[in-house]
Amino acid sequence: MADDAQQKIEAYLETLRRRLRGMNDDDTREILEELRSHIVDRATSGGGMATSNVEAALAGLGSPEELAAEYMTNEALARAEVSRSPLRILGSLFRWASLSIAGFWVLLGAAIGYFLGFAFILCAVLKPFHPQTAGLWRYSDAGGSQVSLRLGFSSPPAGAHEILGWWMVPVGLVVGIGLVMLTTRFAIWCARAYRRSHVLPRG
Amino acid sequence: MKAQPQETETTDKWEVQLRKGCLELAVLAALWEGKLYGLEILRRLESDSDLVVSEGTVYPLLSRLKALELVRSEWVESDAGHPRKYYALTPVGKQRVQEMASIWTRFSSSMGKLLAPVGKGR
Repeated sequence: MADDAQQKIEAYLETLRRRLRGMNDDDTREILEELRSHIVDRATSGGGMATSNVEAALAGLGSPEELAAEYMTNEALARAEVSRSPLRILGSLFRWASLSIAGFWVLLGAAIGYFLGFAFILCAVLKPFHPQTAGLWRYSDAGGSQVSLRLGFSSPPAGAHEILGWWMVPVGLVVGIGLVMLTTRFAIWCARAYRRSHVLPRG
Repeated sequence: MKAQPQETETTDKWEVQLRKGCLELAVLAALWEGKLYGLEILRRLESDSDLVVSEGTVYPLLSRLKALELVRSEWVESDAGHPRKYYALTPVGKQRVQEMASIWTRFSSSMGKLLAPVGKGR
């Protein structure tokens, strides 16, 4: 095999590998091995491992940057569809957001949903430890009436009164878990809708 | 006459989207009769259909179909001296491709009816 051809393959795969960041090592290795075998097969069927045949095989795959972007989009969308863990969903939405505006808005919505959900759960959990200060509080100031969720690490402002009392525990858990589940569904739904409109029209 | 290049461009874009939309079904259908490796899938698509497929699209698509558990893969040693990654439909994948095929058939026959007068009008 010509050294020059071999070097071209290695350089291509190395650029691709660097662009496939965030993907797990096993997946990356599989992708690189598969493409290496494709390039060799393609070049061989073109007449042998001459530099020009290898170059043609690489050109057929497109630039490593574009190929990596294609892998990352596909991976991110597939993962969001399969996974239900908020962390993994946020991780894949993050990658999607770096690739498109639609992904950015979905990421923003999902981040707000998860944040509120976890705030409610945290508040419910902390209520027994800070019975006097944690909970949902309402107070009025110059800007009008406000409602705020307090974890109880500091005293509420003067004149504020608590709305839920001990109901904070069940209500916080139900609302919090509900928000997390809804956000997950929302993210999965968006990923599906996006994938459908871009890749596959379904009846 | 001025509008000509722009129109062609729009049609081209539409055709790209159309081909892209069919690709998932085409790849799954190519695997219907048995396992194939990436380059064989590409050749099957080129010989059995006139879908001109970019190689840079098929490999990422295969990896997504695998993540969705519509296909599974295995490495098989070859005479060429290096292993090849073969893909095969999973039971879910088989079911999916049948569903997609029936949707496709219904869709294309209703489009055919709609398009018949347009073809004649030429």
